[in-house]
Amino acid sequence: MSEKIFIAQGELTAMLERLSKEMDVWVPVEMGDEKWGIRFLPYHEDTIVVLDRQSTISPKNVVFPQVETLLRFRYQKDDNDPSKQRIDLKDRQDVSSALVFGARPCDVRGFHTFDQVFLNGRYKDPYYEQRREKTLFATLLCDTKDSACFCSSVGSGPGDREGSDLWIVPVDDGYVIQALNDKGRKLIPIMGKQATTEQIEKAQRIQEQVTAKRIGEYDLTRSARDFTDRFEDMDYWRDMVSKCISCGICTFVCPTCYCFNITDESRDLEGERIRSWDSCMFYHYTLEASGHNPRPEKFERYRNRVGHKFSYFPDTYSGMISCCGCGRCIRSCPVSIDIRRVVHHLKEAVDAEV
Amino acid sequence: MEDKTKTLQREFLKVFEKLEVVLGWEPGYDSLHATPSFIRQAKDLNKLVWNPLCSQNLCTYLVKTLNASVRKDDKKIGICVKGCDSRSLVALIQEKFITRETFYIVGIPCEGTVDWRRLMRIEPSLKDVQKVDIQGNELEVETAQKTYRFPLQQVLEQRCLHCRYPNPIIYDCLIGEPITPHIGDDQAYGDIEKIEQYSLPDRLKFWEKELDRCIRCYACRNACPLCVCRDSCIAETRTPKWLSQRCDLKEKFFYHMIHAIHLAGRCTECGECERVCPMEIPVTLIKKKLNQIVKDLLDYEAGIDPQKQPPLLTFDPGEKGI
Amino acid sequence: MPKFESNPFRPELATIQDIIQETSNILTFRVVLNDEEKMREFSFQPGQVAQLSVFGVGESTFVINSPPTRKEYLQFSVMRTGEVTQRLHQLNIGDQIGVRAPLGNGFPVDQLKAHDILFIAGGIGMAPLRTLLLYMLDNRQDYGDILVIYGARSPEDLCYTYEFDEWRSGGVRLVLTVDREFPGWKKRVGFVPTVLTEEAPSSYNCIAVTCGPPIMIKFVLIGLKRLDFEDHQIITTLEKRMKCGIGICGRCNIGTKYVCVDGPVFSYEELRQMVPEI
Repeated sequence: MSEKIFIAQGELTAMLERLSKEMDVWVPVEMGDEKWGIRFLPYHEDTIVVLDRQSTISPKNVVFPQVETLLRFRYQKDDNDPSKQRIDLKDRQDVSSALVFGARPCDVRGFHTFDQVFLNGRYKDPYYEQRREKTLFATLLCDTKDSACFCSSVGSGPGDREGSDLWIVPVDDGYVIQALNDKGRKLIPIMGKQATTEQIEKAQRIQEQVTAKRIGEYDLTRSARDFTDRFEDMDYWRDMVSKCISCGICTFVCPTCYCFNITDESRDLEGERIRSWDSCMFYHYTLEASGHNPRPEKFERYRNRVGHKFSYFPDTYSGMISCCGCGRCIRSCPVSIDIRRVVHHLKEAVDAEV
Repeated sequence: MEDKTKTLQREFLKVFEKLEVVLGWEPGYDSLHATPSFIRQAKDLNKLVWNPLCSQNLCTYLVKTLNASVRKDDKKIGICVKGCDSRSLVALIQEKFITRETFYIVGIPCEGTVDWRRLMRIEPSLKDVQKVDIQGNELEVETAQKTYRFPLQQVLEQRCLHCRYPNPIIYDCLIGEPITPHIGDDQAYGDIEKIEQYSLPDRLKFWEKELDRCIRCYACRNACPLCVCRDSCIAETRTPKWLSQRCDLKEKFFYHMIHAIHLAGRCTECGECERVCPMEIPVTLIKKKLNQIVKDLLDYEAGIDPQKQPPLLTFDPGEKGI
Repeated sequence: MPKFESNPFRPELATIQDIIQETSNILTFRVVLNDEEKMREFSFQPGQVAQLSVFGVGESTFVINSPPTRKEYLQFSVMRTGEVTQRLHQLNIGDQIGVRAPLGNGFPVDQLKAHDILFIAGGIGMAPLRTLLLYMLDNRQDYGDILVIYGARSPEDLCYTYEFDEWRSGGVRLVLTVDREFPGWKKRVGFVPTVLTEEAPSSYNCIAVTCGPPIMIKFVLIGLKRLDFEDHQIITTLEKRMKCGIGICGRCNIGTKYVCVDGPVFSYEELRQMVPEI
């Protein structure tokens, strides 16, 4: 059997239906009636899949849920000494296999960042590892860039297949889908019929055309040193981010932001230790019990976000930028802060440009 | 007639030496977005623009960013306000966070600002926009290829569709002529009346569906000019701990109710909470409902009269409304 | 369900064996792991930290302030400041807590060998230094002269007073100071940096190890520079808000360094290469 199949637009739903019997299938759907935004939800029979635009919020929650239980605990009376309590701890939960269908190359690239931190660091995160292994990505070649996109500025591109298990190329009134590895290959028989030579050739041409496109005008991959040089230039940061309102949108919609909080949430004698998405934009993120806060001002917090993605991360992980250029932080920012501009001007401040 | 952008720049230039900073808008990352601008040098005044993309309510910076109550010298803060924004300014004066004298206010009568998401829904391929303007009941969008016209009802922000205060309440200088509101006082709460026609179970279902999308990014709170607790919001404090960090419907519901209750009789209906929501939740409706109740009980609207004492910030033993 | 084979987020259960009231707001807890084998095999470096759990309240970071040379229990001194420490202070002997340890890097005990050691501590900042001090007393022949300058707001705010005699008999010169005059106090009066300047220890072959409130550290650094201490001769241990403790959750970074895994112990030389955001 060929590794390339063709699915007509009209057969897409039936295919997702078949797949959803095997695993949780996450697909992009609209936020609601008459809304523009898209988010990923598990497929069910009434789902209308929307593939014509990028999702507002990345599908990172499939592998890194906004809230995840780390431990369950329960206080119990000690059988041998009723005046004492003992604690039962459970740390494991089963997770089901998942397929993310219709994500973009930038969404998948976000997990490169996650993998470095959660799997390749000094400690391995077993919760992340478990979900990561059980999640597949059927990624859509991206030919719908808008004015906020800049994937080529950070070393990726609209035809970047790295990290995906299956690759979807829109062709005429359907999609040519190709397995990129063994994990993906297993799903091919469930997905559909073999594509014709003509369809395959057409998909190939589209792939080449799109891959040749450069999305984003700047090269932002060599900013690490410029960032540290600019670190103490308060005027620069004030000019760039006075307008920041310190909300968490940029970090929550971001495919590469992974910072989390850990809290105990309990009732009576039992409860859970959970981790939940946190944001370096929040004042409380670094607030210490003593009242000291190493990043009390919002410009310091924004600076840390820029530094993390374009300087600290590449310095730590052999040059890798922890930004995938999806543009979500620009598009969803209430005050339209443009991170491309902030990073680009690290080298030469704005006045020098004019 | 002079372009309003030019007038705006010129008016600030006249008084610039008396100003520490000017808060206005400048072109954003693309031709369908404007972005707040903090102008600290006269030479930068030419960055300022006024057009229907100037959505942000700049009053949100007054307490949280500029700490406008503390002034080092006699210099004032220059600020651009639309009608709705000016109500926030007045409310902050009423609540004594700021004083009128601290500001040089340039008021701009506003026919509405554009909701780019609604625009994209109608015309997803819109790009290379060169000019956006309101002409009569239409939004004119000029691109290199053609000029598009959209009925205002289809492309304005939700807040603008029910706006009764298009003209600034207070100002030192007004750009352009006052305009007549699109709707009368009797239609002020038309948007919530639609929801109220639902049966109670349906209304609950509506809110559960909407609020379930919340991701607790707190943009609605941080964009709010009247959310003045700064970094001590009870949504995040652990001592006392009112809300868990879970992201269940219960938590989200609770958070939004707390936010709304804290704005009862204080919200100036600028709609920023809804505009900034990345998940497109119509959170302004909750605040408007509370405002309607306050209006019915106490005949009061926030941000209309700088001299008036907000009824929920005082105590009157002879209270008639309740 | 089975446990993860290895889960750095899962604490070991432990029992509070003893509680010592150090000051009005500092308690010292002596803790043993419930799993006897793990307790026996538990090994760590002086300066490494632990995340202590009160299940239902949360975790907080504390230095293990008993040295690895004394393994009957693990000791933690806890100042009542936040949510977790409030609750820890309400616990009794026999109560159960969770321990994730050891975390972080610890003091470079081998590099310190054959040097004179100058400890400079303020308040609860004595806790991490106590670990190193006791470790050195237990390996006395490896280290040179030891001078401890230890200050607190008042005589009642000094910790570990009950073992000062043990320190002294191990050849430690102990200089105690409090912020102002108190009835009956016959030792030094004045802030720690001032006392450092008065004592003026020689920087020759000496390593200074300091911990205390940020403002104290700032002036101690100035004092040490005046005494010709080089950047690499100054070691400190930092406190940051930590959650995961394993270099993942993001909040304790100073530039590229994560205090929870790259620290908490840093030389002043290392600190100066980091972004100024402590």
